[in-house]
Amino acid sequence: MSAVSAALGGGGSRGASSLLTWRALTILTTAVAVLGPLSLIVYQSFLTAPFFDARKTAGFGAYAFVFADEDFWKALRNSVIIAGGMTLIAVPLGAILAFVMERTDLPFKRWFEPLILVPSFVSPMVLSFGFVVSAGPVGFYTVWAQDLFGVAPWGLYSIAAMTVIAGLTHVPNVYVYASAALKSLGSDVEEAARSAGASPFRVAISVSLPLILPSMLFAAVLVFFLGFELFGLPLVLGDPEGILVLSTYLYKLTNKLGTPSYHLMAAVAVCIVAITFPLVLLQRKLLQGARKYATIKGKAGRMRELPLGKWTGLALAILGLYLFVTVIVPLSGIALRAFVTNWGFGVNLSEAFTLDSFRFVFQEPTHTRAIWNTILIGTVGGALTVACYTAIGFATHRRDDGWSRFVDYLVLVPRAIPGLLAGLAFLWVFLFVPFLQPLRTTIFSMWIAYTVVWLAYGMRLISSSLMQVAPELEEAARSVGASRGTISRKITLPLIRPGLIASWLLVFMIFEREYSTGVYLLAPGTEVIGAQLVSLWQGGAIDIVAALSLINIVLVGAGLAVALRLGVKLRD
Amino acid sequence: MAELTVENLHLTYGTNQILKGVSLTLNQGEVVSLLGPSGSGKTTLLRAVAGLEAPHQGSIKLRDRTIFDGAAGLDVPAEARNLGLVFQSYALWPHKTVFDNVAFGLKLRKVPADEIATRVKKALGELSLGHLAERFPHQLSGGQQQRVAIARALVYNPPVILMDEPLSNLDAKLREEARAWLRDLIVTMKLSALVVTHDQSESMAMSDRILLLNNGVIEQQGTPQQMYAEPQTLFTADFMGSNNRLAGQVSELQGDAALLTGEGWQLRGRAKPSAKMGAAGTGLIRLERVRVADGPGDNRVQPELKTSMFLGDKWEHVFNLGATMLRAHGPRALSPGKHWVELPREDFWIF
Ligand SMILES: Nc1ncnc2c1ncn2[C@@H]1O[C@H](COP(=O)(O)OP(=O)(O)O)[C@@H](O)[C@H]1O
Ligand SMILES: [Mg+2]
Repeated sequence: MSAVSAALGGGGSRGASSLLTWRALTILTTAVAVLGPLSLIVYQSFLTAPFFDARKTAGFGAYAFVFADEDFWKALRNSVIIAGGMTLIAVPLGAILAFVMERTDLPFKRWFEPLILVPSFVSPMVLSFGFVVSAGPVGFYTVWAQDLFGVAPWGLYSIAAMTVIAGLTHVPNVYVYASAALKSLGSDVEEAARSAGASPFRVAISVSLPLILPSMLFAAVLVFFLGFELFGLPLVLGDPEGILVLSTYLYKLTNKLGTPSYHLMAAVAVCIVAITFPLVLLQRKLLQGARKYATIKGKAGRMRELPLGKWTGLALAILGLYLFVTVIVPLSGIALRAFVTNWGFGVNLSEAFTLDSFRFVFQEPTHTRAIWNTILIGTVGGALTVACYTAIGFATHRRDDGWSRFVDYLVLVPRAIPGLLAGLAFLWVFLFVPFLQPLRTTIFSMWIAYTVVWLAYGMRLISSSLMQVAPELEEAARSVGASRGTISRKITLPLIRPGLIASWLLVFMIFEREYSTGVYLLAPGTEVIGAQLVSLWQGGAIDIVAALSLINIVLVGAGLAVALRLGVKLRD
Repeated sequence: MAELTVENLHLTYGTNQILKGVSLTLNQGEVVSLLGPSGSGKTTLLRAVAGLEAPHQGSIKLRDRTIFDGAAGLDVPAEARNLGLVFQSYALWPHKTVFDNVAFGLKLRKVPADEIATRVKKALGELSLGHLAERFPHQLSGGQQQRVAIARALVYNPPVILMDEPLSNLDAKLREEARAWLRDLIVTMKLSALVVTHDQSESMAMSDRILLLNNGVIEQQGTPQQMYAEPQTLFTADFMGSNNRLAGQVSELQGDAALLTGEGWQLRGRAKPSAKMGAAGTGLIRLERVRVADGPGDNRVQPELKTSMFLGDKWEHVFNLGATMLRAHGPRALSPGKHWVELPREDFWIF
């Protein structure tokens, strides 16, 4: 360890050097947790057989196989189409909603905002399932539409439908960036344009839009790259018609050969990361662009809201339609489906009513364990995760050296690795590293994977809390004689406590929502609802899926209710 | 001819009354400043005139064109009022060059491109910004940004130009030069300007008339000389200069002559309308009117010198008159001990 502290430029007093050691330890642990699994994937992709197979040799065989597979190219093409299409849908819609919510006098705004964000808190697996039971061939809304109008002119199992649904459910991702940009855009520059004679529409076009354009571009890249991570949606909606995207192609590879084809999966995983990682770096670049105007953005002051007048109806209609399609349709479908024995043409809702699905869920140990584990990983696990993120945050807080920059990039890495791949990588780690093997069937394996997967997201929360502490407060402590460690514990930590509690709540919600990371880690002992849903869906247990989905929604909803109650900002 | 007339304007935020019946006029070619302590509602009033705040009662007229009338429900939107507004923060559009910032108002008015070019060049030239046309706002100094903000508000010849603390973001030295320059600019360009400021010396230096706003109402208005020399209320008197205040009892009152009695002293002065016989009163005198004398005489007291401070061009002496502090200016340092100090009757106002 002394070598490390020397490497960090240590020496000096005892206090300083032990602190450096602590810092080094944190950074090294993070590096191992992030880079270990990733390097294992890369290593595996260059083997001709699974890494534990004695017959493995190094080579490009896995890539050769994948690139020769026509399905791979189809899946890649579908991923590109869906990612591009959903970006084209989500970006304009998210921007319009943000403008309406931030700048106009739309009634009931306070109530709409959490609703707009709901799709980003509900598991995509659950949402997709909701669309199937609501708008699928025999979904509730389909049946009702056919009873009422004689037709239900939509088909769910197509690339177009997946693109539209993916676009709609990713509107919140754009919305948060667009509205944050509008918020931080000084209203004075808009008012200056109005006094110069520009109509509200002209102000939006000539002043607001160009100024939030960098943020919009950022959001567009984000959505595009989330398009490559889609898993639950294409799994649920693409499968019936055999439509594959990259992630589902990877998921189905195992079945394809009948034997564990880890080397092939690794090769596909590397291909996915090869697409997403450059996008993450591009995003980082764009974020710096978005800050370009920050130095002179004027004063964010009070502003009279733009009266919508006769447009109020239209704005409410757009918002209402969006919420109906994206939130109400899927969630109401799940809520209904969980309480009926079966559903289809000619089934009467009141006759089909039953609580059997829930009874079954609560009798079956794997399901009760899944529920219990899901709660545990969100609450206790979430707290531990926030503690880890905070430690990393402190390791780089107000230090601008090589190590801080290293961590900056390090936390970006998991962002480029879709949860499914990260879960796979951790599975291998737990199989590969002898002393970790006993942990394989404990919830710890899930927790560490979750924590690494959401590192970038969590670090953004923590560092935005840390940045809000005025440097003078820490400098003042320093000038009265406090050491760095004391300042962290006695000044900074108490000051960011509200931010940490908010982060804990947000982490709770995303951990409840998470599903893809657990897919490969699912084992007796590690059940969580999200991953359990994927496996149950594969097995066709619709009733149980509905009941567990509803329970999952309730858990997320509980977190959301507490967050709203405590006034936690649902976004940064 | 009044360019701008505001009548009985009321504005509230929630239950908080910000403007409580403000009336004012601004005549052609006049510089009027809106003066008042922080939070008195100056910015709110200016923004209400610009159409950026929603008053609920009163009216606003530009010449004979009504742009706001609470009773008639008329509220012309900000962009249709054709006023020039200079923001305290300047609010330059960071994505437009200096030229484009200034040209935007003309573009909106569908002025032909070649005319825009000449008019913008002329405006920039007048403000000595000609060489900066292609720069972006963040490449300018604070003083240059301020001039761009002014050019942007002037270029389309609005009948009235509104400025919210236009000098407050400049540093002290620059500010004194800029106020002379700004007044000169407004006068030579024959503009009518309403200028918000919280600095009384700035308002006196710059304007033809001052409106003193206190807590949402106009406390007093007049020329700078009137405001300084003939304040009607204690608030005005106190706000307009550096003063000594002495608390006492009004023990004699005849016409505009009164006698104020404090602990161990009696002083005669001019009674202001609010002075009441037998009631508590406040005497107020400008620092520069207090005179250190060499012996007893009319309206003199004998306080103890506490300290003398050197201010460069003069000294400031601080005395203790009983428990009250009395300050005076003088050309040289004084020896410690008691001194005679005169508060001339005509300069000692009793409220
Ligand atoms: N958005 C707002 N909501 C409620 N009160 C406000 C708001 N903006 C300003 N005020 C209040 O209005 C009063 C007048 O503010 P302002 O016009 O900015 O004063 P000034 O410019 O004279 O300093 C202040 O008391 C301030 O607290
Ligand atoms: Mg103000």
